[in-house]
Amino acid sequence: MNPPSRHGPGGTPPPLPAHLAAPPPSETVFEVGGLSVFYGGHEAVRDVNMNIGARQITAMIGPSGCGKSTVLRCFNRMNDLLPDARVVGKVRYHNEDLYSREVDPIEVRRRIGMVFQKPNPFPKSVYDNIAYGPRVGGFRGNLDDLVEETLTHAALWDEVKDKLRTSALALSGGQQQRLCIARTIAVEPEVILMDEPCSSLDPIATAKIEDLMERLAQQFTIVVVTHNMQQAARVSERTAFFGSEIDRDGVRHGRLIELDETGTLFSNPSDHRTEDYISGRFG
Amino acid sequence: MTARPQRRRTAPGSPGFLRRSQSRWSERAVRVLLVAAALVSVLTTIGIVVALIPPAVEFFGKVDFGAFITGTDWSPLFEPPRFGVLPLVTATLVITVIALLVAVPLGLGAAVYLSEYAGHRVRGVFKPVLEVLAGIPTVVYGFFALRAITPFLQRSWPGGDPPEVFNALSAGFVMGIMIIPTIASLAEDSMAAVPRPLRDGAYALGSSRMQVSTRVVFPAALSGIVAAVVLGISRAIGETMIVAIAAGGRPNLTLNPLEGMQTMTAFIAAAGIGDLPTGSTGYQTIFAVGLLLFALTLVMNLISIRLVRRYREVYE
Ligand SMILES: Nc1ncnc2c1ncn2[C@@H]1O[C@H](COP(=O)(O)OP(=O)(O)OP(=O)(O)O)[C@@H](O)[C@H]1O
Ligand SMILES: [Mg+2]
Repeated sequence: MNPPSRHGPGGTPPPLPAHLAAPPPSETVFEVGGLSVFYGGHEAVRDVNMNIGARQITAMIGPSGCGKSTVLRCFNRMNDLLPDARVVGKVRYHNEDLYSREVDPIEVRRRIGMVFQKPNPFPKSVYDNIAYGPRVGGFRGNLDDLVEETLTHAALWDEVKDKLRTSALALSGGQQQRLCIARTIAVEPEVILMDEPCSSLDPIATAKIEDLMERLAQQFTIVVVTHNMQQAARVSERTAFFGSEIDRDGVRHGRLIELDETGTLFSNPSDHRTEDYISGRFG
Repeated sequence: MTARPQRRRTAPGSPGFLRRSQSRWSERAVRVLLVAAALVSVLTTIGIVVALIPPAVEFFGKVDFGAFITGTDWSPLFEPPRFGVLPLVTATLVITVIALLVAVPLGLGAAVYLSEYAGHRVRGVFKPVLEVLAGIPTVVYGFFALRAITPFLQRSWPGGDPPEVFNALSAGFVMGIMIIPTIASLAEDSMAAVPRPLRDGAYALGSSRMQVSTRVVFPAALSGIVAAVVLGISRAIGETMIVAIAAGGRPNLTLNPLEGMQTMTAFIAAAGIGDLPTGSTGYQTIFAVGLLLFALTLVMNLISIRLVRRYREVYE
């Protein structure tokens, strides 16, 4: 079953759980300053400033097309792979400029993993999916052990231990997505970026992923984009609300409207656009 | 608002109201035409094989099949005739192997480059160039081998005996150049068809471009890549003009690529344009060799189908 929502359906939110009332952890993983991303000549998102704290879940919500995925892809330089994407501004990871010339994007992606909207396991066996990252990273230890540990960690071992040699595409959608999460943690990153990881899954599979995320957050820093506001409310400590603005020249671009503790953002947003969005009044 | 004019409809509930209201003649005619188009190619292939069989059967009435396949002496048009086909088979294989040694690495390398490394602009220039290369008549390649490559090899040979005027090396090398575009273009198509999310997944795990190419894209595209190589092999085995011009017409049982040798196709061409009387044993020889050539290609295709089934990684 779905874990109970922290909000009643449409009612006033209950008092904050303790961990949401606590101040954000002092350790900052990402510091984003003046970040804008262009696709060709089009500025998709403008002047984003935000910090992401360690070992907690930060959610990114907001209407379609306001640049959530675009910002998320800046955190592990996936935008490098889009030929016409251009990133301006600062993204600091543990005080290191992610976009400086000396930084190797491959090294970045080993530390900052990513899970995508549609499960995208390789058309290889379950085992080889998990082993892929360690293999390309030059892992020298015992792969069998690593695969078992990783799958156990991702709460998938019992379901797939008899299917290690069968194709990952034979798994259910939810299992495939958890396999993709497992494949990501197999390279022992520090951060896991997730772009709408549950959008193609049913509520039960979604609940399993949310459980997994909450457990993983004890060890990893997670940034998750979601269209599911209950999900953001359930799993995240902090929530960033993105929206679209039209500037004086009539150009529409994405903006970070508000970033706050999840409880505060949902119960007492400081911007009326946030309030409109979370209460279902758009535009 | 005015109502949009509607196609006349039988009222729901009246008898047969869901039946087709117009006969779909055009639909049916198109279908027949398409089936006919498909049948032409299939029937032609069957027809060719069937036409090969009677003269070949007659031939094997006179010449022992075992002696044909294992014999090492090929002089069917001289007295006394000898029908050992091995020299032709080895010549075909030697030249095909040389061609593949050139074409497979370069063709697949070009495919990986175009699909995984090159930007839009480079690809836009390269692909048409490749296709032009594929359109050069093979007789041009043949003379290029004979008049340019062979003299070059002879002049710059480092030591030992230089290649003969007719030799398998030049023929195979140039044949390899000829089939690069075939392999590169088909392999690139199948690699470009590998879905983007698979690549993204691999990059997000910290893969280099090379690792994405070789460990994710290549296996996922394997069936298309093997098909490309098989088509390359088929073209190499069946190629006639280059070998007839550059490798010579002397049946020669050897694996030495520096010597001249006659392939199966070169023999068929030479004997075919000669004035062998219909029904003579010499005439039937052509069909026997032709049938063998066909069998060789068929076996190779079957093997490759099995290989693909075994190793490919099917993405949805
Ligand atoms: N690869 C791309 N090339 C060009 N424009 C792009 C590309 N990706 C995104 N965009 C544009 O950038 C803007 C932001 O897109 P993005 O995908 O980041 O939005 P999003 O908030 O993730 O939306 P959704 O909730 O629908 O996923 C959109 O206007 C989109 O059209
Ligand atoms: Mg998105």
